[in-house]
Amino acid sequence: MAIVGSEATVATTVSVSQSTVLSATDLQKSYDGRPALRGLSFTLEAGRVLGFLGPNGAGKTTAIRILTTIIEADSGHFEVAGVSSRYPEQIRRRIGVLPESQGYPGQVTGLEYLAYYARHYGWSTSEAKEYSLALLQEVGMQKRANSLIGTYSRGMRQRLGIARALVNNPVVAFLDEPTLGLDPKGQQELLEMVRRIARERNAGVILCSHLLSEIEGVCDDVVILSWGQVAAKGSMTEVAGQAQRNGVRIHVPSPSADQAQRILEAIPDVKVTGNGAAPGRLQVEFVNGARPNTREDDGLYNGILEALIGAKIPILGFEGQGSRLQDVFLRLTQEEIQ
Amino acid sequence: MSDNPTAERARSGAPGWWLVFTRELKELWIGGRALNLLILYSILMGATSFLIATNAELELIPPREVAYLMLWPSIAFALFIGLIIGADSISGERERGTLEALLLTPTSRRQIVIGKFLAAASPWPAALTISLVLVRVLSQGDEVFVKAVFWGSLIGSVLALAFIGLGMLVSFWSNSNRTSLFVSLLCYFGFLLPTQFPGEAQAGSIGQLIKKVNPMEAGKEYLARVIVNNGTPDELWVWALAPLTFLVVALGVLFFYAGPGLRLEGGRSRPNLANWSRAGGVSAIAGLLVAGLVTILAVSPVAARGGDRAPESELPIAITIDKDFASVKTGDNVKFTTEVAYSGNEESPRMVVAMNIIDIEGEVVDPEDWSPQRTQVVEPLPAGETATQSWVVNAIQEGDFMVYMVAVPEPDSEEATSQPVSTSGIHLTVDPFYRLSPGGVLPFAIGIPIALIATAFLLRWLRRRGLDTGAA
Repeated sequence: MAIVGSEATVATTVSVSQSTVLSATDLQKSYDGRPALRGLSFTLEAGRVLGFLGPNGAGKTTAIRILTTIIEADSGHFEVAGVSSRYPEQIRRRIGVLPESQGYPGQVTGLEYLAYYARHYGWSTSEAKEYSLALLQEVGMQKRANSLIGTYSRGMRQRLGIARALVNNPVVAFLDEPTLGLDPKGQQELLEMVRRIARERNAGVILCSHLLSEIEGVCDDVVILSWGQVAAKGSMTEVAGQAQRNGVRIHVPSPSADQAQRILEAIPDVKVTGNGAAPGRLQVEFVNGARPNTREDDGLYNGILEALIGAKIPILGFEGQGSRLQDVFLRLTQEEIQ
Repeated sequence: MSDNPTAERARSGAPGWWLVFTRELKELWIGGRALNLLILYSILMGATSFLIATNAELELIPPREVAYLMLWPSIAFALFIGLIIGADSISGERERGTLEALLLTPTSRRQIVIGKFLAAASPWPAALTISLVLVRVLSQGDEVFVKAVFWGSLIGSVLALAFIGLGMLVSFWSNSNRTSLFVSLLCYFGFLLPTQFPGEAQAGSIGQLIKKVNPMEAGKEYLARVIVNNGTPDELWVWALAPLTFLVVALGVLFFYAGPGLRLEGGRSRPNLANWSRAGGVSAIAGLLVAGLVTILAVSPVAARGGDRAPESELPIAITIDKDFASVKTGDNVKFTTEVAYSGNEESPRMVVAMNIIDIEGEVVDPEDWSPQRTQVVEPLPAGETATQSWVVNAIQEGDFMVYMVAVPEPDSEEATSQPVSTSGIHLTVDPFYRLSPGGVLPFAIGIPIALIATAFLLRWLRRRGLDTGAA
């Protein structure tokens, strides 16, 4: 497990290993007396991707801005590669950031743009140009290196933004909503790139996204924020495992829906709560305390499948309910709201 | 932990302020904003120069006055350009979403502000050059051009840098460009407003004080007196105080208070204890400078009144003049000096020396048109001392004239009078002169904007060359 720590609202001792690239301890921030972040503590290790989740107003942006030295925390501290947050300029040398609302100058080329930022990190003009070309190649933009940014598509700009985040070969990269506004193919390619960055550069990556499927697909670890505090954190498996699997969604051909409902209701501890909301879609709930929380307890799923197969009803879709990150997220954030 | 050679890298490249400066410079000039503003500037100044040239021919305005008439509007409009560019420099980046990337670099906030300031100042030398070319043409080879270059550059630069600093400060505290530009415009018109006061209000002691405290008005007055009236820095230092104080305060606040706290939102970072003390220090220095300025100006010699001397009805005062005659052409000027000598045993009363011009043919002469400075005050002289005054008469009309000077001692009381003392006259013969042709300025008034537009196209063409401009 890459993320350790106790409950968020309590001052936390964070264990830091050799490969830890980022450790945050009890970060707090208020705006005009309204708490935006209430004790954020976590660690990130090299080569891993950490998903940063939370509903709007949960404190994600505040947390990212503190960790990237754009704003100062009211209390708490963090370290990047062993450098304390008391030295923001040194921290900035070690991190790369793709902000959510990043703007780009339309009248410069992608290569000029990258080379300019590279020079801020001490590269000479020729070194900066050479390195920037290599980066553009890494993000698949080498053919448009000499095009004005004003002619780039949204996806190209996001790739350029990622290249800029890598311009100082960071030990931690913060990517805030990198797939926002991209088509599905663009999203997929970009997420692949994120994985590659962590793996090949051995950098820690913090990925902020509203798309839970995105986080689920690419992240090793996850932190869920709600109302400024940590609602859950751990490896993806651990956090997803916190969900109570309490039902199943089944898709059968429409003419077979009623027959399937009769068969399912004959199984003990099973109740069909929805049929006909959409053609052939059945919503099944486990009753009488049946809760298959672990993979070993999945006999109930098998029983349902065997009954339907035995009745020769084609199964078009079968999905355990409550077993996904989305379910954990919704449950945890809902609890916080209540 | 991953290797990070960049983090350990020694700062072998260019300093951060230089990188910001060069990038901003490219954006301003190749992006076109500065060049577009300069084209507008050159068109306006070209039109102004043509109007001044026409007016000068019709009204026989002397070259030094023409030079000033061209120089001041050029500076005033250049200040406006500087203010606008400064006002866009930070809030504009906020609005375009490009500031955050810059703040994420290891370059310090102050260096970012310095780089932006230097780039924002870059259009000023270009604007000054354009205006000096026009002043050169309009001054028709008069020696006033050298003065206009020197003092115009000096006073203009002080004001331009201060206005750019002011614009950047407004921009620093604004979240949107609209707010920043609006507030900057208000500031600009706030400085211009006192010049629109009625003449009497400007002449009173409060009016004079406001004039001296307002850096724009004080700078204008300095240039007018030094270029048109041959004033010297010794006499005019009081008019240079406001522009200099404005510059020091604006740049001090920008670089030492605001700059280090540059952040993503408008305003500066919440100051910690150290920052508070620094803020206090900067505020105290700025406050002292402003208070000192107002105090000095309030008690300056121009505002000072003489004492309560009791002049004799026949005082041992003599006034002499160093010229007997002058033969000139319209548009020329005649310089001369007077010397007031006091041979009494006690200190003399305060005196006023006044210039008088009469047409020997008996035609009415309006001395206002001949010399903007027709009186000078002589403060009480110790026994046996003399005081010298410098004068300029602009020959604006052909004919035969007599110029004579009168020293008037200040009367003892409301009921008392005093005996004026006069010099001999200067016999001034003014012959007609073929004056500046309005057409003479036309090639420059039209040529400069055309040259700038051509430069803009050339820069754009050079920029586009070698670029892949294919759409995404």
